Amino acid sequence: MLEIRNLHATVEGREILNGIDLIIRPGETHAIMGPNGSGKSTLANVIAGREGYVVTAGEIRFEGKNLLEMDPETRACEGLFLAFQYPVEIPGVANLYFLKAAVNAVRKYRGESSVDAMDFWDLIHERMDLVKMDESMLKRSVNEGFSGGEKKRNEVFQMAVLQPRFAVMDETDSGLDIDALKVVADGVNALRSPERGFLVITHYQRLLDYIVPDHVHVLVNGRIARSGGKELALELEQQGYALYNEEPGRARRAA
Amino acid sequence: MTAIAPLFSDPYRQAFAAFMAERRESEAIARLRRAAFARFETLGWPTRHQEGWRFTDLAPLQALTLQKASAALIDAAALPELGVAAHRLVFINGRLAPGLSSERPLLDRAFITGFSQALPRDLDLIAPVLDALPGLQFHPFAALNTALWEDGAFIYLPQGTVIEEPIHLVFYATGGDMAVYPRLLLALEDGAQATVVVEYRGQGRYLNSPLAELQLGHDAALHYHQVQEESPQAFHVGGIRVHQSRASQANLHLFSSGGQLARTDLEVLLDGEHAGCLVNGLTLGQESQTGDYHLRVEHAQPHGTSEQVFKSVLNGQARAVFDGMIHVRQHAQKTDARQTSRNLLLSRQAQARSNPRLEILADDVKCGHGSSTGFLDPDAEFYLRARGISLTQARALLVHAFANDSLNRITLTPLRDRLARLLAAWLALDSIEGN
Ligand SMILES: Nc1ncnc2c1ncn2[C@@H]1O[C@H](COP(=O)(O)OP(=O)(O)O)[C@@H](O)[C@H]1O
Ligand SMILES: [Mg+2]
Repeated sequence: MLEIRNLHATVEGREILNGIDLIIRPGETHAIMGPNGSGKSTLANVIAGREGYVVTAGEIRFEGKNLLEMDPETRACEGLFLAFQYPVEIPGVANLYFLKAAVNAVRKYRGESSVDAMDFWDLIHERMDLVKMDESMLKRSVNEGFSGGEKKRNEVFQMAVLQPRFAVMDETDSGLDIDALKVVADGVNALRSPERGFLVITHYQRLLDYIVPDHVHVLVNGRIARSGGKELALELEQQGYALYNEEPGRARRAA
Repeated sequence: MTAIAPLFSDPYRQAFAAFMAERRESEAIARLRRAAFARFETLGWPTRHQEGWRFTDLAPLQALTLQKASAALIDAAALPELGVAAHRLVFINGRLAPGLSSERPLLDRAFITGFSQALPRDLDLIAPVLDALPGLQFHPFAALNTALWEDGAFIYLPQGTVIEEPIHLVFYATGGDMAVYPRLLLALEDGAQATVVVEYRGQGRYLNSPLAELQLGHDAALHYHQVQEESPQAFHVGGIRVHQSRASQANLHLFSSGGQLARTDLEVLLDGEHAGCLVNGLTLGQESQTGDYHLRVEHAQPHGTSEQVFKSVLNGQARAVFDGMIHVRQHAQKTDARQTSRNLLLSRQAQARSNPRLEILADDVKCGHGSSTGFLDPDAEFYLRARGISLTQARALLVHAFANDSLNRITLTPLRDRLARLLAAWLALDSIEGN
């Protein structure tokens, strides 16, 4: 469903991604691990279409369509979701209002009518339970004054409401205690299905105990240095990124 | 004063002489007009060399040959509605149009009427209080208004009178380079309460130079709304004077989206202990509009509170000017005064100038001010788009978030809802450009 071929990208004139190849089929969950600064978030941002990330070579196809030609909102409407490493605070826009605007934007794109108020409310409540989110968060401004954990939970909540076909989770586990981590993992696992794909970016093997990936890739200096099964994550945990010119301690501290 | 002043005053001098020849009114009022006109001649037409007028470009207005206001028929559908029962006075080109107005029964001794409808005996009541408030002494347009007003609204509520229904004053101008000088005189005696909505609208090119005088007795409360939606070619150069006695509260909401140049000078004198004043300003500007506020809040007595919050949203080459002064006299201890000015620029060519100032002569006060000007947050924009929300809608949402607390301070629900719709329509302009 997501095919990345020979992807090169620059940020502010600096080459960050140096030829990435990655194919993710429906139903698969892939994990990307790698030291800090290796380009994981850059890859996530390029997939989501953020400004300032310039693709200099290669292509990304999403369900056969050229993703790089689409603006960010079209990608989202096509079923792509990015859980941000650093969710943005938006003062003055209530979470609930924002979610409804997002749901309706996607429905409009699909040629559907605006969501029925009751149906929306039911969906919201069901998904709030899934990520154990308090109802008071709905009235608060998007991410404003949220703790680190609340922000990450809010990302998973949005994903659960929008039900994308493919989601990129950029370090959704970092900064979470074990309970919060389980909540996030439960949220993702509840959405796993034969039609959905996930790309889980993480620094730690820990998350992958709960979200068990089909494939693990190691990203170093903007390239996939190695790919393997879930056991690769364990190996990395033990050996760190030393083999890839990085010390395990350094990678961990930088997280 | 300056050598050039008489040059510009000349056509005004003729206009004033012609105007006075036609008026039939008491000597008291005529005297007031002559004194005001003399003041205008002394002050002269403002130039950009004067401190208070540096950023207000009056040249396009000065280039016009302004015409005396004349009567006109207009379609009632062009007039704004409040959507609730109201005491309504409609002025066309500065004159009351009784057919378009709807007066409602009032208690004895209370007045909500046009000057032109008032009996001579009542006009004698008006004369001594007209132009009696301090403030705007050096404002040439305030002087011109006093010299040249043809009609105005007179609102007087005796002690303890509380009027629940809003007072809706609509001033409509029909263009043709006319100059109109509408007047508003409002006096709330001790404990009286009123809600007033003043709307400025029109079509074509004209000068609207209104002057409002608002006087609040002890414990009086006023909710005052000025909704400036002049035509895009119009010039709006107005003034508001406010005088507050002990424990009175004035909430002034100033909304501005019309006119090629719209300037309001506001002076508030908190002249009694525990008096409180809120000024809540929201300006929307696009194309080459200029929205300009000059504000002076003077704390003369202890325990006063004042808050001024001014926001502007600017697109195209629009400009906003905010010049705000809080002056705390030595005697005015325990004053709590705050002033903020925030500008949101939607285009690289838009410009905002904020100049919040404090002059504090008392030593035991809490005063603060601040200003900020910025563009929409590109990270927030991307966050919304990454959830499927279009760029246009994302920007509209963010602007709405910026402006919404200004609207939320308006407690008159039908007006707030109407302005929220106006804001939404304004934001749907697809001219909000990228950066
Ligand atoms: N928006 C940006 N502006 C400037 N440099 C950036 C930006 N995003 C990423 N980079 C640079 O690209 C490199 C890779 O960063 P990133 O993709 O965030 O790594 P990771 O997510 O793997 O820690 C780093 O050197 C970082 O400084
Ligand atoms: Mg990262």
